[in-house]
Amino acid sequence: MTHIIYKDTRIEIKEGQTVLSALLENSYDIPNSCRAGVCQSCLMQATDGEVPVVAQDGLKDTLKSQGYFLACSCKPETPLHIVDSKNNQQQYSARVLEHEFINDYVLRLRLKIEQPYYYHAGQFINLWMDKKISRSYSLASVDKLDDFLELHIRRIPNGVVSNWLCDEISIGDTIQIQAATGDCFYTPGSSKQKLLLAGTGTGLAPLIGIARDALAQGHKGEIHLIHGARFADDLYMHQTLLKMAEKYNQFHYHTNVLQSENLLSIEHQSIDQQLLDVAGSDLAESKFYLCGDADIVNKLKTKMFLAGASMKNIYSDPFIIAADGVNT
Amino acid sequence: MSSLYERIGGQPAVDAAVEIFYRKVLSDDRINGFFGGVDMEQQINKQKGFLTMVFGGPNEYTGKDMREGHKHLVANGLNDSHVDAVIENLGNTLQELGVAAEDIQEVADIANSVRDDILNR
Repeated sequence: MTHIIYKDTRIEIKEGQTVLSALLENSYDIPNSCRAGVCQSCLMQATDGEVPVVAQDGLKDTLKSQGYFLACSCKPETPLHIVDSKNNQQQYSARVLEHEFINDYVLRLRLKIEQPYYYHAGQFINLWMDKKISRSYSLASVDKLDDFLELHIRRIPNGVVSNWLCDEISIGDTIQIQAATGDCFYTPGSSKQKLLLAGTGTGLAPLIGIARDALAQGHKGEIHLIHGARFADDLYMHQTLLKMAEKYNQFHYHTNVLQSENLLSIEHQSIDQQLLDVAGSDLAESKFYLCGDADIVNKLKTKMFLAGASMKNIYSDPFIIAADGVNT
Repeated sequence: MSSLYERIGGQPAVDAAVEIFYRKVLSDDRINGFFGGVDMEQQINKQKGFLTMVFGGPNEYTGKDMREGHKHLVANGLNDSHVDAVIENLGNTLQELGVAAEDIQEVADIANSVRDDILNR
């Protein structure tokens, strides 16, 4: 017999009882459906304590490493502190260290947080303009390598938050952000696996973070990054990535430019075909990270899955444009 | 005598079957129109629940769930021919995984037993 702590309340767990059944018994309204560890409706997160391995069966590595588990198949043997799966609302004050335009419409913002702040490269944060309006931006920095958080902000025409960040914010200002979230990040494990990263526009931000993180964690397999852009000028980290490819033998940088100046001379290859080519015969065992424009990300996801990639190995972060036209 | 679920291979078999099955469904022009715009990961989890059920495994699916879950699809023209196509894809998946013909028939029978709930009649 042990117990769990949920919403500051201690709840006893009987021998062989699941967390879900104990919570329901105590009148907590926990979403659930199959109660067989399959549908994942009852996903919760442990913030302290040991989660039984079987309670994480079928979850993505990135969720496992953050303590996520299925309440219906979790029979804890030792005390657990648990929260609902989306319950990370704490805000942090971040000071602007750098505010620099990488090209005409991509702003590089570097932020410093004095409090302890933990994240995985490739996750995203919510950034608050005021008490009501927030947008999500992906992290391009790597926790262990960088002394700051880096965001790439694309200026969206009429975008409330992106224009505010571009025009009103300057070095030394303080911005409110939330804890990092999302499951699109690198986890060590099979270090020889091929990593295939593809993104459009500022979908590059999380991908750079993931690639640097994987290299720093000693990933041994090939890492391919494809940056898709409308024009060559949109390849806003071109030089940095070329240098990275020179420095690390296993890192390969590919570009996919939609409209070349030499339209007639170049047969354009679609980004999904390029990704399939790069994946080659390793496709079924490779890990995919797909970020940026939601339509393209979802299309790539479907194509890779149909070509034989396992959904468990596809991590994605589709960028949604907020209803008022602001980048999220 | 072992149960159908045990003979097929239990949860590992569900895990092995689900992606093969879903790929077949998404590639099948007779039915893939019903899957446009759905979240693929959520869909895979739902398919796992479905496969667990038709494999005779532990589940709490009810006729009501089946009706509610397919109501909007029936309104969009879901009919017997589509259910047939799904069961066909299911059979091909199991065949690929080496499941015995009698067991495949039993799975199809379970799937057919919820046909009226799925089609809301």
